[in-house]
Amino acid sequence: MGPGLFGYAVRRLLWAVPVLFAISVIVFWILRLAPGDPVDTILGRHYDEERAAVLRDKYGYDEPVYVQYVKYMRNLFHGDLGVSTRHQDFTVSEVIWPKIKVSTQLGAMALFITFALGIPVGVYAALARGTFLDPLTISFWLALDAVPVFVAIPILQYLFAVRLGWVRLGWEGVWSPNIIMPLLIMSLPGVAGVARFMRASVVSVMHEDYVRTARAKGLKERTVVVTHITRNALLPMITVIGLSLPGMTAGALFTEQYFGIPGIARESLAAVTAPDYDVILALVLFGSTLFVLANVLIDISYAIIDPRVRVGARRG
Amino acid sequence: MTAGTAEAEQAVASAPSMKRRMFRLIIRKKLAVLALAYLLVFYFCGVFAPLIAPYDPNEQRRTVEDVRQPPSAEHLLGTDTLGRDMLSRVFYAARTTILFTVAVTITGGLFLGVGLGLVAGYRGGWVDTLIMRVGEVLSGLPTLFLLLAITAAFRTRIDDASYWLREHTWLGDDAKTLMQFTIIVGATVPFAWIGSSRIVRSLALSIREADYVVAAELYGASTWRVITRHILPGILPLFMVGLSGSMASIAGAEVTLSFLGLGITPPTPSFGNMIADGAGVRTFQATPHLLLSGALPVVLFFFAWNLLGDALVDLLDPRMHQR
Repeated sequence: MGPGLFGYAVRRLLWAVPVLFAISVIVFWILRLAPGDPVDTILGRHYDEERAAVLRDKYGYDEPVYVQYVKYMRNLFHGDLGVSTRHQDFTVSEVIWPKIKVSTQLGAMALFITFALGIPVGVYAALARGTFLDPLTISFWLALDAVPVFVAIPILQYLFAVRLGWVRLGWEGVWSPNIIMPLLIMSLPGVAGVARFMRASVVSVMHEDYVRTARAKGLKERTVVVTHITRNALLPMITVIGLSLPGMTAGALFTEQYFGIPGIARESLAAVTAPDYDVILALVLFGSTLFVLANVLIDISYAIIDPRVRVGARRG
Repeated sequence: MTAGTAEAEQAVASAPSMKRRMFRLIIRKKLAVLALAYLLVFYFCGVFAPLIAPYDPNEQRRTVEDVRQPPSAEHLLGTDTLGRDMLSRVFYAARTTILFTVAVTITGGLFLGVGLGLVAGYRGGWVDTLIMRVGEVLSGLPTLFLLLAITAAFRTRIDDASYWLREHTWLGDDAKTLMQFTIIVGATVPFAWIGSSRIVRSLALSIREADYVVAAELYGASTWRVITRHILPGILPLFMVGLSGSMASIAGAEVTLSFLGLGITPPTPSFGNMIADGAGVRTFQATPHLLLSGALPVVLFFFAWNLLGDALVDLLDPRMHQR
C-alpha cells in the first residue's frame, strides 16, 4: 500500500454511504406512493383485524412515508425485509436469497466468458491493426452486440433445441449442459465492448519504450505480446467490469425468463407485474448496493494499480 | 514524444503492407458507407412513412387468408396476427424510433449532457465532483429494473392521466401514445446524459488550459462567452462521435421497454411490440416472418450505428492521423 491509498479507499467508501441513502429514499418513496394497502394484499382472504393491526404496526403502512422508511430500515438491519405478497406466507428473504445464488453463479460465469473472449479478440485486433482483419473482427462482434437478447433467444432456441435437437430447454440446475445456450446468450453481446476497450488499451501500450526494449533484447514475439503488451494493457480493463454489469443484468432478465431459470431477474419481473412491493424494494436496494459497492471496489483496485488516480482524487 | 518516432518506425517497417493498409481503409470505409446508406434509407422511410407506406398500418383484416401471411408480392414483409401489412408497420415503427431518439438526444444528450459536462469541466471543484458522482451512480444502477419498478408503481396513475387527457384535450386517442412516449423518454433521459457529459467534461478540462482560452479570460471575457465561443466549438465534433456510438443503446431502450409492454403499446407500431408479437419458439417455428420482419430492420439499425460510431472514433483518433 502506497501513501494516500488508505485515505483514498476510505473516502471512496464513505462516498457510498450518502449515495446508497439517497437511492434507498428515492426508491422507497416511489414504491410507497403506489396505490393500494399492502396489508390487504398480504392477508388476502385470511384478513382479520388482529393480524392486520400487527402488520400495520410492524411495517407502519398507514403512517407517513418517512416513518415507514425508518421502520423499514430498522427491520432491514434486523435481517427482516418484509413479507412477500405474491408468495403467500413467505418472507422476502426466503424468496430472494436462493434466487440470488442462482443468478450470481450464472452472472459470474457469463462475465468470465465475456472477458475470456473479449481480451484475446481485442489483442488480436490491435495486433492486426493496419490490415483488413482488424475492422472485420470488431465488426463481427459488433454485429452480435446489435441483436437484442429477446430477438436472439427464440431464433437460437428453435435452431438448436427444436431443429437440431442438440440441447434441451428446461432448467436442470446450474451444472447441466442445458445452461450452455443461456450462458452464451448472456455473454456474447458484451464481447464487442470488452474487445474494443482491450484493442484501444493494447494500441496505447504497444509502442511504449519497454516494448521496444523487449523486442531489442531479442525476446520472442510471443513473449513480448503476452508478458509485455497484454499484461500492461490489462490494467485499465478492471474498470470495464463495472461498465459491463448493467448490460449483463438486462440480458439476464430475458434469459432467465425464456429459459425458465429460477433466478432473481425473473423473480423481479414477476414481482413488478404482480406487484409485490416489498420484493421489488428489496431487489432494487440489493441491486443498487451491489452496483455501488462494485464500482467503489473497482475504483480502489484501480488506485492500487495506478497511483496517479489517488493524486488526482486528492486535488479534486 | 516517443509515440511519433515509434509510429514512423512502424511505417517504415510496414512499408510493403501499404497495399494491405489501403485495403483495410477501404473495407472500413465501405462498412461505414454501407452503414450510412442503410441509416439514410431508414430515416427516409421513417420520416416519409405516411407517403410511402403501401397500406394503413392499423388496417386489420381478420380473415384466415389475410392473417400471418408470409412475405409476398402484395405484402413484402407479410402480414401480422391481425392481418396488418408489416412493411407499413415497419415504416411507422421507424418513425417511433426516430422520434424517440431525437427527443432523448436533444434533452438528455444535448442539454443535460453538454450542459453538465461543460459546467463540470470548466468550473471544476465540488460542482465537478457532484455532477460526476451522480453520473457514476446513475450509470451503475440496474436501469432496466428501476424502469420496471417505476412503471409498475405508477401504472394506474399513468392510465388515469391518459384517460383524463383523452377526455379533456384535443389529443383524443393519441393521448395514450403521447403519455407512454413521455414516460419512456422521461425514464431514459436521466441515464442518457452520462456518456456525453463525460466526453464533454474531459475535453473542456483540456481546452480550458489552452492558450486561446487563457488569453480570452485575460481579456476579461465572461464565463458564458468563453464557454460558447471558445470551448463549445472544440467540443462538438467529439460529442457527435460519442453520440453516434450511444445511438444504438438509446434506441434500444425504447425497443426493450416496448417489448416488455411498458413502452409504446399496440396499435401504435414500435419495433418492440412487433418483436413481442413474433417472439416465442413455437411462433417462430410456425411463422418466422412475424419475428424477422420486425427484428431485422431494427437490428440493422443498431448495427449500422455501432459501425458508424466505431469508424468515427478511429477517424478522430490522433494516432491514426500520424500514419
